[in-house]
Amino acid sequence: MKQHRIIGLLGLLLVFVLIVSGCAIGHASATATAPREKIVFWHEMTGPAADQLKKFATQFNASQKKYQIVPEFEGTYNEAVQKILQTHGTSASPAIFQSMDVSTSELYHAKVATPMQHFIDKDHYNMNQIAAVPRAFYSQGGKQISMPFNTSQPVLYYNTSLLKRLGIKAPAKDPSYSDITAVAKQIQAKSKGKVNGMTVEEYGWLFEQFMANSNEHMANNENGRQGVPTAVNFDQPGAKKAMQWIQTNVKNKDIINFGSGSTAETNEMAAFLAGKLGIFMQSSADIGNLTSGMKDKLGICYFPHADGQKANGVSIGGASLWIGNDKSKSVQQGAWEFAKFLVNAKNQAIWEKITGYMAINKQAAKEPILKNLFAKQPMVAVPGEQLARTKPNTANSGIFMEDVVQERTLTQTAMQQVYNNGNIGKALKTATDSMNAAIKNNNKASGLTK
Amino acid sequence: MQLVTNDHVSKPSSARRLKKIGQYAFLIVLMLIVVSPFLLGFWTSFLPTSQISKGALWGKLSLANYWAAFTTTPILRYLFNSIVIASLTTVAQVVFCSMSAYAFVFLKFKGRKFLFYAFLATMMLPFEAEVIPNFMTVKSMGLLNHFAVMVVPFMATAFGTFMLRQSFLQIPKELKEAADIEGLNHWQFYYRITLPYSRISIVTLAAYSFLTSWNQYLWPMLTTFSDNFRPVQDGLRQLQSSETFNNWGMIQASACIVVIPTLIVLFIGQHYFKAGLNEGSVK
Amino acid sequence: MLQRLPKQVDNSLPSLNLAAKYKLTDSGYAIVFLGPTLMLLVAFVFYPMLKTLYMSFFLTNDFGKTTAFVGLSNYVSLITSSSYLSSLGATLVFVLAVSILTVVLGVALAVTANQELKGIRLFRTLFSATMGVSVSVAAIFWLFAFNPSVGVFAQLSQALHLPVVNWLTDPKSAMVAIIISTVWMNLGFTFLIIFGALQSVPKSLYEAADIVGISKLTQLFKVTIPMISGTLFFVMIVTLIEAFKSFGLIDMMTEGGPDNATNLLVYRIYQDAFINGNFAQGSTESILLTIIIAIFTLIQFKFLGKRVHY
Repeated sequence: MKQHRIIGLLGLLLVFVLIVSGCAIGHASATATAPREKIVFWHEMTGPAADQLKKFATQFNASQKKYQIVPEFEGTYNEAVQKILQTHGTSASPAIFQSMDVSTSELYHAKVATPMQHFIDKDHYNMNQIAAVPRAFYSQGGKQISMPFNTSQPVLYYNTSLLKRLGIKAPAKDPSYSDITAVAKQIQAKSKGKVNGMTVEEYGWLFEQFMANSNEHMANNENGRQGVPTAVNFDQPGAKKAMQWIQTNVKNKDIINFGSGSTAETNEMAAFLAGKLGIFMQSSADIGNLTSGMKDKLGICYFPHADGQKANGVSIGGASLWIGNDKSKSVQQGAWEFAKFLVNAKNQAIWEKITGYMAINKQAAKEPILKNLFAKQPMVAVPGEQLARTKPNTANSGIFMEDVVQERTLTQTAMQQVYNNGNIGKALKTATDSMNAAIKNNNKASGLTK
Repeated sequence: MQLVTNDHVSKPSSARRLKKIGQYAFLIVLMLIVVSPFLLGFWTSFLPTSQISKGALWGKLSLANYWAAFTTTPILRYLFNSIVIASLTTVAQVVFCSMSAYAFVFLKFKGRKFLFYAFLATMMLPFEAEVIPNFMTVKSMGLLNHFAVMVVPFMATAFGTFMLRQSFLQIPKELKEAADIEGLNHWQFYYRITLPYSRISIVTLAAYSFLTSWNQYLWPMLTTFSDNFRPVQDGLRQLQSSETFNNWGMIQASACIVVIPTLIVLFIGQHYFKAGLNEGSVK
Repeated sequence: MLQRLPKQVDNSLPSLNLAAKYKLTDSGYAIVFLGPTLMLLVAFVFYPMLKTLYMSFFLTNDFGKTTAFVGLSNYVSLITSSSYLSSLGATLVFVLAVSILTVVLGVALAVTANQELKGIRLFRTLFSATMGVSVSVAAIFWLFAFNPSVGVFAQLSQALHLPVVNWLTDPKSAMVAIIISTVWMNLGFTFLIIFGALQSVPKSLYEAADIVGISKLTQLFKVTIPMISGTLFFVMIVTLIEAFKSFGLIDMMTEGGPDNATNLLVYRIYQDAFINGNFAQGSTESILLTIIIAIFTLIQFKFLGKRVHY
């Protein structure tokens, strides 16, 4: 009796296994192709950007017969850095990978990639077609270490139609903290609490931008541009002012807190799209998501600055493309071909239209796709304008330091404390101390300082 | 508690009915607590995401989300990977654990007691605290991003050995003596007598190792980097985190696709599981 | 059964022959039977433990290689770090809450399901349903329920004009949310074990209690619970140990936040080693976690030892 039941159960399992494996293998064989050099491409893009990358890969694969690009999504930027470092030299490692802005120093020192300059020189590739700011960001000693790819600016989004319906004046193009507060308060009041005024994600990257825009160096040696950083200081007046602004707004319920991490990002976007949130601050890379999912009219303005202070400008965000040095010459060559393909003018124009990342190829602006886009939706040009008016200096060109992932975790935690009504000075001080201890250890461990 | 069986006949029937209603009401409340997350998940998996994101819990029901999950995500591939990994792990565990359990029960050798205690001691060491060197080990073995990386480290466990040992100890001594007289060697006794005799425990161990492998989350997350090998737990994590649009309908459908087969197996095999579980624990 | 098995030809001097053979082959057999398991355990359990201990005395570089020996300083900085201590505190709160709530609810379910009513089998089946739920599925169901704009809890409180709780973004309620989800996941298994134990309580005890006129509620505490106390303790300690190892729900629902409120020990190891790239610190935390879990496992063994003879 009992045995029968077991056999029945096993039989059921077997049937299930067969069905599923049948389907899965069917899937697999559909994608299998003639022998080509397999180029594994790791990326951290989500939503429409991920779909577009897959499309690029398919188009590239169709355009030639030598290489097969296999895109793989590897989670968040933070996760990917360690995955890259830890798989290096094994068969699991990627041939070409996307890694975030602030991981540049770490990957550079870890020597996991063939410098992009090597391929540029060999191929006599014209780097002048790439915009100067991102090019400089991913160079060291005049040499290109990685290929700039997805490049964004932090901006402030608002729901233009909603503001109109409620009879509220849209914020200025270059707003101060209190300008934004005023709008958020009105949204809250005039919608009778049905729409939340604004949100600022608890996100280390935004914290960095608050400091950059206040002309403050987070790390010493001018954010690592003049030498290996040995200490950071988060507890500076500009950072404090920004945190104070947020905390006051949280207390007054003008800021709704969606938390941190990818969940927070999707939640704030969902609320904004559903007309339940008036204003939020995020990367310009969200434009693609917003314009395609929103029925209301979207508004975009610059990253806000402290009252009575001029904005110093924010740094670019995003990531660049690296070619691993642990793969065969021909695989590396294939990776380089794909990198060139991704940054050509036409594809960069498509990329900007679909995602909101700014095209880094100067020729892209001449592409009809972008011309039409800017004509139809002028606000989409705002991030580019913000970048154009920024005078690059060491405070707004990103942080060239190891362990920035840890910095982001720590500042994020500090922000969480601030949002939950913690003491601002104490939160920033704690994060500073923890980061300095980590820097000391890590510099010692990796032999950067004695 | 036998609340009903001892009802006195003398009680008025209306009171009894009232009591019965109370019992059912309590049962239903508890049931709702347990199943409401399921119900919510199932229900929303049939709703269009546009409705869900408005906060509405009604709308036109359809299978569109399931269709989207099957056609636009590798959910079937994830399921397939998990089945391969869990099946291989299960077979290996049953073979190796039963062999080592046999050694501890029927073989006399030097250091048996010491080894047994050493085995027991490993049960105190949480795998979660050993991921760092284990990651380095599988990396140097060249196993990263392959099925083997999720099978090899789990092919034998001290717990499985211990559990089967308890069961093998129940085999009557006379049986072994008789087998010795018949001239059965250890292989024969292991294969022909021990395994069939302890089949309940063996199937319990198999079910246990299958479930444990199926539920692995942290280890595959660290060691797999492509959808070709990613098991379903991490596949779902992947789907959830790559959706910037909060495509709730599709995500819920994917979760349901993963949970429905296990629920069916559980419901059908429930009586069996129950017997096995109680055998495995203490009574 | 034995008759059907092949007989050895020479049975003339069984006792002498076998005794000689027995001693000779047993160790050989032991190598074959025990070898694979032993090798696996050495490679994936014993060696890593020693390696973890070793690494905890060093600093490590980007690739996890040990570089500078620092003695106990990793331990000192960890134990004096307020953030680690708060993680430890949060973990203790979490495991206690989870194990107590799981057992209490498990008893409630089991006792209710142990009545003879029409259709009771359906309820029993449903009560065990969460056993079939894996961690990522549970995380997705609960993420939806706790979602601040479309979640059921948010909508309920809005409909009732109550303040909306930021379930996953407020440190206190995030912990509560994680506890609720974990307890829910544990319920099916716990229910089955406790229910099994209840069924083995002799019915005559209740009949006797009925005759003496002891109320049902008193019976629960004076008869039922003492009779199954062994099982309850077993379930409690198993749940406790498993709760210490919680990872998946946290990873998907809160990523250890907000303000490290749900940054429990295992998640912290993951974050320090595999996100921040600090393998030495991860190793140090691993050793501390091992010590904590070993203590509870010993308690469990002690209890099992009473019931299971060697």
